[in-house]
Amino acid sequence: MSADPDEELVRRVGAGDPAAVQSLVARKLPRILALAVRMLGDAAEAEDVAQEAFVRIWRHASSWRRGNASFDTWVHRVTLNLCYDRLRRRREWVTDDVPDVADPAALPDAHPREDAQRVERALQGIAPRQREAIILVYYQEMSNIEAAATLQISVDALESLLSRGRRSLQVILARDGADG
Amino acid sequence: MDARRFAALAAAYGGDLRRWPEAERMAGAIFAPSEMGDAILSHAGKLDAQLDSYAVEAPGKALHGSILRAAGRHLAQRRRQLFWRMGLALAGIGLAGAVAGLALVTIVTPEVQPDHYVLDANATAFGDAGPDGDMIEEDL
Repeated sequence: MSADPDEELVRRVGAGDPAAVQSLVARKLPRILALAVRMLGDAAEAEDVAQEAFVRIWRHASSWRRGNASFDTWVHRVTLNLCYDRLRRRREWVTDDVPDVADPAALPDAHPREDAQRVERALQGIAPRQREAIILVYYQEMSNIEAAATLQISVDALESLLSRGRRSLQVILARDGADG
Repeated sequence: MDARRFAALAAAYGGDLRRWPEAERMAGAIFAPSEMGDAILSHAGKLDAQLDSYAVEAPGKALHGSILRAAGRHLAQRRRQLFWRMGLALAGIGLAGAVAGLALVTIVTPEVQPDHYVLDANATAFGDAGPDGDMIEEDL
């Protein structure tokens, strides 16, 4: 198992070193926020998730020990769980019978570029597990092994999720392009 | 690597070989310049280009500051907890020391002898010289 690049920093955070806290926020906040924004398609909710993720980091830093997963993998898992809590809450609030494809009109108008908005809508339109896999491998640039560990699935299952996710995205984007 | 596996990898990881599994990158790079390899990568690359257009804005200063303030509160709270825990631990150690000291004093200190001894008529320097109770019972 290779060395965890975050281990020493997390140990210092656990010991209450304010400089280490700043370094960890600078290193992880952009990744956590990007993950949450793409999972939820909502910048404000993603910011709430990022704050909650850091509260968990502060709480566990002093006792965090590397098991099978790296700190980054653990942080991604925590963030994804928080995103799932929000997605579940949304489903409970809206209706019991949610359509597979999200309503484009319900998504925030945070991205000025049309292409980006189309991709955002398409990502929200695919199954959450497929979305997770694509975000982790494509946007978060995790290796297949790291992404599979984060999703707690095999590498074969990850590849299957990625293939199906990308195929669904192509279909949605082609349809959206034809409509637009 | 055959065309089938190459296509499967491109379908999963996209047209950029840097995202492919490390163990298969080399074999993929050998197959990539072929006509079929080029067509497969080109097809996957179209979706990659669309995905690339979806950039996320960097975290704002407000969010950054809010997270750091929460961290400060958490660290202060932790320091207080450590202080109290250390105080309780010291108090515990002190209490344990007191109990151990008391126990030691009880065990080590010799039993206090009376400073006077009441002699009765049967007592001698060798002990009680009175009639032996057991022998008396046997004689009966």
